Amino acid sequence: MSSHEVRILSSGGYLIHVDVCRDITPECVRSIHKLYYALRKELSGIVKELVTGVTSIALFYDPRIVSSDELVKKVRELWAWSQRIDLSEIHKPRSFTIPVTYGGELGPDLPSVASWAGLREEEVVELHTSRKYTCYTLGFTPGFLYLGEVDPRIAAPRLETPRVKIPAGSVGIAGKMTGVYGLESPGGWRLIGRTPLQMFDYRRNPPIPIAPGDIVVFRSVSMEEFNRLKGVYVGDYNA
Amino acid sequence: MITTPSLQITYLVGVATVQDLGRQGYRALGVPVSGALDLTSASYANALVGNEVNAALIEFVGSLKLRANEDLVVAVTGGLPKVYVGQYEVPSWKPIYLRSGAELAVRPSDRGNVHYVAVAGGVECDVVLGSRSTYVRGGFGCLGRPLKTGDVLSVGKVDVDGLWSRIYGLRPALNIDVRSPKVGEAVVVRATRGVHADQLSDLEVLLRSEYVITLESDRMGYRLDGPALQSASKLGRLPSIPTDRGYVQIPPDGKPIVLMSDAQTTGGYAVALHVIPPDLDILAQARPNCSVRFVEVSVKEAEELTSKYLTELEKPLLTVEESDEYFA
Repeated sequence: MSSHEVRILSSGGYLIHVDVCRDITPECVRSIHKLYYALRKELSGIVKELVTGVTSIALFYDPRIVSSDELVKKVRELWAWSQRIDLSEIHKPRSFTIPVTYGGELGPDLPSVASWAGLREEEVVELHTSRKYTCYTLGFTPGFLYLGEVDPRIAAPRLETPRVKIPAGSVGIAGKMTGVYGLESPGGWRLIGRTPLQMFDYRRNPPIPIAPGDIVVFRSVSMEEFNRLKGVYVGDYNA
Repeated sequence: MITTPSLQITYLVGVATVQDLGRQGYRALGVPVSGALDLTSASYANALVGNEVNAALIEFVGSLKLRANEDLVVAVTGGLPKVYVGQYEVPSWKPIYLRSGAELAVRPSDRGNVHYVAVAGGVECDVVLGSRSTYVRGGFGCLGRPLKTGDVLSVGKVDVDGLWSRIYGLRPALNIDVRSPKVGEAVVVRATRGVHADQLSDLEVLLRSEYVITLESDRMGYRLDGPALQSASKLGRLPSIPTDRGYVQIPPDGKPIVLMSDAQTTGGYAVALHVIPPDLDILAQARPNCSVRFVEVSVKEAEELTSKYLTELEKPLLTVEESDEYFA
């Protein structure tokens, strides 16, 4: 992809926001990940915290150590450099399998996704489990995974009215992204199933082993297997 | 018998949690920074009892009573609360010697909003992801829930009398009145332009108008009422961006929300302004029905003010008042 200029904004006296692209596409996400790992590699001594969004990155800095002007210059240099290399040169993605029980009480929106798609529920599950997803970013709530890209045939839009309470482990679809709720939280994604795995454990460090750029695949499991795997930590399951 | 020093909550009306200066380094995993709403007051409270500034302390909005089960040294900061030991009124923002069995009571006055009780030795609880701050929505950090009447908090052991001889008479070199907004008063907070400022054609409305803090305000965000920014609804759904405390978000209804310590780490609303850290502490001290005005500052000014603020947060400015000594 062409190395266009990124939009960089400083605010608050300690934060730099890098807008990499406008639309959430796999190409955009790849260039974000290249920049993210380049920044982590080159600026970890200077920058306090680096956070990815789906189309942008934030850098938290100490203005007593470095100024916005200096950092913006470094980010522009690293942007140009990072886009010329292969992501695997700076980050080796890991692969994770997440077992999911689809439909029924655990996936109350599977019927609505199926009817949106004009497919049978089994076909939705088939399409959802047949792709390797990239972890775009984590955020919103602890351990929430933004994954993509979903097969366009099942890319149903989010719900008109979000739910107040969604159980931890719920797997949802929102347009071209699919996601896993790390903890119980409110949310508006269409829930098609649930993983029995514990996705986020604050007693571990890091509390979730999946990082931006990593690969996630879903595996459909029976209710019996769901019950058997209940509470197993995602890191242990994929050890 | 070996007893661990502790504090028991004997009365609570309002919301109280254990906090420190926040959970740094885990935003990338979606973990909010949490920590005190008014970091300056928290840092000073700890410094006044000889703790390191990041020690765990009690944060609360409302009224609280605590009983010491051993001799303890405490300090109350955040706004200008009324503080009593037994029936005697004692000053806030100064170390207080609390004898075993004595009861400390803190009630709000008409100035300030969120109060801190630091205890020498710090509130003891497990460190979760580098912090003792309670993140109630995640159910982790210290007790993982708000405090309630009857809770007993363990306190780190210190040589109380030795400590007292070193710290009595300490007081902050700080204008506390300025950082304790009076009910109904307007608070002026400085902010830089936010990520989407260029895309909000009526940003001027936000900088010209006075907004009122509504009752739907909590540790996650302060919701403001006032003239709506019409341009926000035209932007539609934006891709989620990394967010932070101090971000002034404009949801489609146009009414601003200022993100506070428990705010989620990413958000899809337009960000109009970014309140600078020292002024966010003062905003935290403004109660519902207080009004807020935003004043724009440049990134350069924000960097200078934030630098000074961070240094003071790490090393609060204290002086000694020789004459007073507060025993109870």
